[in-house]
Amino acid sequence: MIVLNGQTLNCKILHRIAHGEAVSLDQEAIQRMEANANTTPSTVLEAKRRWIIGSQTKESEHLNREFILSHCAGVGEPLPESIVRAAMAARINVLATGHTGSRPIAALKMLELLNRSIIPIVPAQGSVGAAGDLAPMAHIARVVCGYGPYPADYTPLVPTSKETLSLINGVSLSAGIAALAIVRAERLFEIATYAAALTMETVYAQSQCIDPRVLSLRGHPECVEVGQELGRILHGSQRVQSDRNPDAFSIRCGPSVMGAILNTIRHSRMCVDRELNGCSDNPLLIEGEWLEAGHFHGSQIGLAMDHLKIALTQLATLSERRTFRLTHEKLSKNLPSFLVKGNGLNSGFMLAQYTAAALASECKGLAHPASVDTIPTVQHHEDHVSMAPIAARHCLQTIDCLTDILSIELLLGAQALDLRKRDDQLPHPPIVQTLHQTIRKHIHFWDDDQVLHPSLSAMRRLITSGELLQHPETW
Amino acid sequence: MTVYLTGNNLQIQDVIAIARNYQPVSLDSQAKKTMLSSYRWVQEASRQEKAIYGINTGFGSLARIRIPSSQSALLSWNLIRSHAAGIGPVAPEDIARATMLLRANALAKGVSGCRPILVEKLLRFLNQKLTPVIPMKGSCGSSGDLAPLAHLGLVLIGDPMGEAFLGGVRMPAPEALQKTGIPRLTLQAKDGLAITNGAQLSTAIACLSCFDAEQLIKAAELAAAMSTEALLGVSRAFHPSVHQLRPYPGAIRTAHNIRHYFAGSTLIDSVPEKVQDAYSIRCSPQVIGAARDMYDFVKRQVSIELNSATDNPLILLDEPEHNKPFSAGMFHGEPIGMACDTLKIAISEVASISERRLYRLTTGNLSQLLPPGLVGKDRPVLGMIVPQTTAAALVSENKALGWPASLDSIPTCEDQEDHIAMSTVAARRCYDVIQNARRVVAIEILTAAHALEHRIAHRPSSQLGQGTKVAYANMQNILFDLSNHSTMGEQIEAIAQSIHNGLLFEGLE
Repeated sequence: MIVLNGQTLNCKILHRIAHGEAVSLDQEAIQRMEANANTTPSTVLEAKRRWIIGSQTKESEHLNREFILSHCAGVGEPLPESIVRAAMAARINVLATGHTGSRPIAALKMLELLNRSIIPIVPAQGSVGAAGDLAPMAHIARVVCGYGPYPADYTPLVPTSKETLSLINGVSLSAGIAALAIVRAERLFEIATYAAALTMETVYAQSQCIDPRVLSLRGHPECVEVGQELGRILHGSQRVQSDRNPDAFSIRCGPSVMGAILNTIRHSRMCVDRELNGCSDNPLLIEGEWLEAGHFHGSQIGLAMDHLKIALTQLATLSERRTFRLTHEKLSKNLPSFLVKGNGLNSGFMLAQYTAAALASECKGLAHPASVDTIPTVQHHEDHVSMAPIAARHCLQTIDCLTDILSIELLLGAQALDLRKRDDQLPHPPIVQTLHQTIRKHIHFWDDDQVLHPSLSAMRRLITSGELLQHPETW
Repeated sequence: MTVYLTGNNLQIQDVIAIARNYQPVSLDSQAKKTMLSSYRWVQEASRQEKAIYGINTGFGSLARIRIPSSQSALLSWNLIRSHAAGIGPVAPEDIARATMLLRANALAKGVSGCRPILVEKLLRFLNQKLTPVIPMKGSCGSSGDLAPLAHLGLVLIGDPMGEAFLGGVRMPAPEALQKTGIPRLTLQAKDGLAITNGAQLSTAIACLSCFDAEQLIKAAELAAAMSTEALLGVSRAFHPSVHQLRPYPGAIRTAHNIRHYFAGSTLIDSVPEKVQDAYSIRCSPQVIGAARDMYDFVKRQVSIELNSATDNPLILLDEPEHNKPFSAGMFHGEPIGMACDTLKIAISEVASISERRLYRLTTGNLSQLLPPGLVGKDRPVLGMIVPQTTAAALVSENKALGWPASLDSIPTCEDQEDHIAMSTVAARRCYDVIQNARRVVAIEILTAAHALEHRIAHRPSSQLGQGTKVAYANMQNILFDLSNHSTMGEQIEAIAQSIHNGLLFEGLE
């Protein structure tokens, strides 16, 4: 059982909740919330309500309902359940900070839905990520408060006016998507390192480019780290040696490029981890006083996600170029064209590289930053917005493409390794051997042309299920 | 009425009729004869010594390797299977159907050296509503949409790895063939290339996008007319004499349409002291009109591609030379890729200016004394403020999707295919942009309708324009059909759907 307390949530934990783990609310957080919820809302709140709602009417259940329903203006395809779960858990954690003035029951009701897997249908589009992900969060709040259809055995929350605001007034959807993106990006980065090592092994790469003495001369610790990891995976290799000609950039510059990418992933994770425990709401209750600020603005997430998808696009283009080399007789140190016996009847893995190229190109398009845009909304009151949810969704789409691109490199790497073994009879490095065996458990060597699609799907499943590198969670 | 394919006169509306409305389709008898001649030539040639690409050679850079004629059929079989490398979301039914239709029409030209039976099978798929599972990601658009079309090929040959939908159920290809009684295709020389070599998935998406874009532009003009009325706009900016002085055909037409829609309205020109409106109103003809001009260009490109041979090599029997097969680059998706990139930018702008109009409608000091946010009796809280945010999000997403896919190229096939189109990515993005834009315009129509209600409530003697009146009534009927529990989002979707299926325009001249 994962305990939410408003302070210690991170991307990894949120990822587990998104994929089904149960959640509870920390006792201290409950007490904190109770204490603060008893503070009478100040005139600030009433003034805000009047402004937002455009009405002088006193608080009423009818207005709370209208307030939430007015925000249910999301459009497009429904978000996957895992993303909605992430958004809900992220929001519960914001409420658990105790500074939103919400009662524990508000968080507990959302928590009940989460634990009972009653997951609201949330359209993917319609949020500009400031003031918060209003529309998508309202689609969640609509079920929490019973303003739309809900199961008969669920007792809806009867919210206070501040709770109606606090349920929706933050970038919890963007942060939720971002957290999933970070966890997936980290796994894919690890897999990309294995894929790079596998390709290095099959093309008899020169080992100097991963020599720590060389890498440390440039002062980027992540580059040294990537070099060490490649060295670890390739430990015991008789194919990757120092006395060779230098390789092409997609091989030789691996540590440089991937080090830069790793740096970006870590920076993005830092931003998202902070956001998950930040009080993304307004106004905020601090020491009995209501204070107004702009904590619902999604800029942190927007920039982090744009940055991340650019970095992942580099990971994609780098892998695609290595895949291209594997298929190219003249660039692969004489592996057969398209990794299949050369009688002309077989096209082998020709099309796998096309697929990788098309996906890499798609990543380039998705890499266009969403956060560079802003469009004034709400009568020019919300005159600079973040577009964070768009950045985050496009980042997930980039990850989707990258997963298949890496699948393709691994698939071709495994085939290339078998072809090498037939020729040179050299043993594989132990870690590479294990990787190869895992792949071969599901995907056979090709003597002749086969339908490519099932192999691509099987390889992708090995990554997303976690089986390939014994990751605990599936996604 | 049955559409007959000749390879020469298929039009966008035919594609819509067949792909979306299940109109029957058949192969023209003359086209069949032409196909047979080129087929016989290939059969003859495949027994000769001379190398002909893809008939007795390998594919792509493997063209350097000769294949014995006895193995031509196996070569086709391997091509289909090894090229089925698509991934990701499956093409919706209309896109998959349009893809089959376009491939059939390209082959009906009779220059691909394949048998009429291949086309006739594709047409039976269409007529019997058997829809292949075609993953949409992973195609570069040159040399054609190889992977997606190979997935179609798997169904044609009844490969157990192929899949199809029949009556909404997804099943293995052999089962789908058995259920429809369509015998599987036994491949012969050149068949593999004939099935896969061309950018038909890109063109199918482009073709549907073209049709949808035209509906969308029409809706945007209607929305602009409604907003102009609701904002008590000045009609002079739409005057025909004005637009003759900068005679872009698109702008002339848009100005005419908007004028026509609001003609008869008592709200237009009702503020004597106002001399001009903001850009989003006053410049609607220039912006939507520019999109119209781009649309016309795109429509021309797509219409050419619909009736083009995209295969390689092409068998040109009428040429005097003895050497009949012509290897060229007709499969290259660039014309479609650039067209789709153009269209998505044009449509993004249509949505962008629509969002600014509806922003005015919801913004107190910009809306000519409409209630701030259009708060009213039936919308006491926030009025139409939140949908404006939705529109802003959609417009912004279009900007991020606006990066032209056809700008990119990544070398493939051992550098033999060293400049590629990315037309499939361009087409898919264009389709997404149009969907987003449609929702933006739907939000404008919904918002403008609320604004018009306020005007009428304020002055009950007000008359709406001859076109806006009709659209307003249609919109009310569409909303009336929704449940009481419908969210604002669902209302937006319903209006967007009515733009897509034309219900919004019913009774409109």
